[in-house]
Amino acid sequence: MTAVPFSLRRAWLIAHNTLLEAVRQRLFNLLLFLALALVLGARWLRDFSFGAPELKFLADCGFGSIAFFGAVLTVTATAQLFFSEIENRTALTLLAKPVWRAEFVLGKYGGVVALIGGFCALLTGLLAAVLWWREGELMREFPESFAQGRVVSYGMVCLAGYLQWLKLAVLGAFALLVASYAQTQLFTVITGFFVLVICHLQHLAQNAYERAGSVAGGLASGLIAAIFPNFQVFALADSLAAADAPTLGQVARISGYGLGYLAVVCTLAVYSFRRREI
Amino acid sequence: MPAVVSAALALAGSGLDRVVAPVWAALQAREPALRLDSPWRAAGQGVTLALLGGFRALVADAAWIQMYAQWEKRDLPGTETLLRSVSAIDPRPVYFWLNGARILAYDFPAWRIAEAGGYDAVPPGVQRRINQEQAQAALRQIAAAMAFHAQSPELWVERANLELNRLGELEAAAASYRRASELPGAPHYVARLYGEVLRRAGRKAEALAWLTQLHPTLPAGDPGAAADLVLSRIRELERELAVPSASAYRPR
Repeated sequence: MTAVPFSLRRAWLIAHNTLLEAVRQRLFNLLLFLALALVLGARWLRDFSFGAPELKFLADCGFGSIAFFGAVLTVTATAQLFFSEIENRTALTLLAKPVWRAEFVLGKYGGVVALIGGFCALLTGLLAAVLWWREGELMREFPESFAQGRVVSYGMVCLAGYLQWLKLAVLGAFALLVASYAQTQLFTVITGFFVLVICHLQHLAQNAYERAGSVAGGLASGLIAAIFPNFQVFALADSLAAADAPTLGQVARISGYGLGYLAVVCTLAVYSFRRREI
Repeated sequence: MPAVVSAALALAGSGLDRVVAPVWAALQAREPALRLDSPWRAAGQGVTLALLGGFRALVADAAWIQMYAQWEKRDLPGTETLLRSVSAIDPRPVYFWLNGARILAYDFPAWRIAEAGGYDAVPPGVQRRINQEQAQAALRQIAAAMAFHAQSPELWVERANLELNRLGELEAAAASYRRASELPGAPHYVARLYGEVLRRAGRKAEALAWLTQLHPTLPAGDPGAAADLVLSRIRELERELAVPSASAYRPR
């Protein structure tokens, strides 16, 4: 295998193939349909909203759909697309050719990232359209409340969509890392969801580490805080108001954080897969 | 191999944490749910965020409707459980905290007294105790809400109302109304109520000083500001305190 150099083109071909395979899957279509229905249906669900202002409620439903169905899609698609190659023995055929294992792993990951990218872009676009439409209606009904013009920052909506994608991409990398050594798809899916929850709770370990009285407790919580990324930081663009918009520096830092984790976890997935018996 | 993977992740993570630390600090300052003192409540919020994300609003609304179904049946444990669940699922809307506190303070005592035989059968001392217990429960609910909404005048007004109307604690109510009136977005009537409670507490000179200070700040054309009512209160207090006409308040 060392006879041929690493080729991004081969990785790209695997990614392209993975994406095509993914969009043909019923699971993807089902999740996409459910998420789209929920974003569109939020317009009618608003009658049941008590606490939040209407536009915020619509945005919450939209981002909730992206986060929830996106996480399900990321974990299940990564596991399914990876294990289908192993279980159908197509990985053996593929890797018998001059294809690096790194190309295989990165290609699979590229396909998943493109899949969730399309998912996030579609839902964010739809959410922005629903918000624009409803905001227009409200502007006609209550012009005095919109004296300064539109209140929703559509830049923030797009930024939130991007950060959701980045978060899901990191989650996908972790799912891939688990898949690279796991024996079953079910194990990968369950572990993937555990990783999702741990990453959301990671800040508690960080707080415990800072407050730790005991050395052992401090080390344990510090280790958890260092190993798992903090998914709460990706909620920076949770507001609809332009006044709450993060600075460019903050967005760059979060992007660096996400991409850094993504690179490290993918490298480890390649390392792990290279040692695996197929 | 797991050791290598963990070590590499820990090493990379500790470096990447430094990259995102300023953003995280800004986010924590903005989002009260991320800096809860109680680890259990913080964990609950973390799990809710992880599993529900933006769906928190929808799930909380559904639980609130379910709560009303229990409320109609006067099912006290069911209503209380759902009240607490709603604000645990989505602590962002003040509406849930506020109406939850009102149900705890005003509906629950009536249900408890009715269950014990009704207002005619239950001795006044027991009724008073029930009212106080429920008012304290409502105040705890308001205190929990303030961890998320420290700058909400509505919560301070509700706290003052409970202290005034359910516990009869005039001094505490006055302090809460004062606090509410100082918060941004506080309605005009809150400052007026602070003066009124001072008067009821016997601190008439303070009430007069407060209202004379308040009156020039009230917009004349706004019925909600009730500038005329404030002026009439000033005149009443001046009469009660026998303020000489030369020293009486003169609106500009």
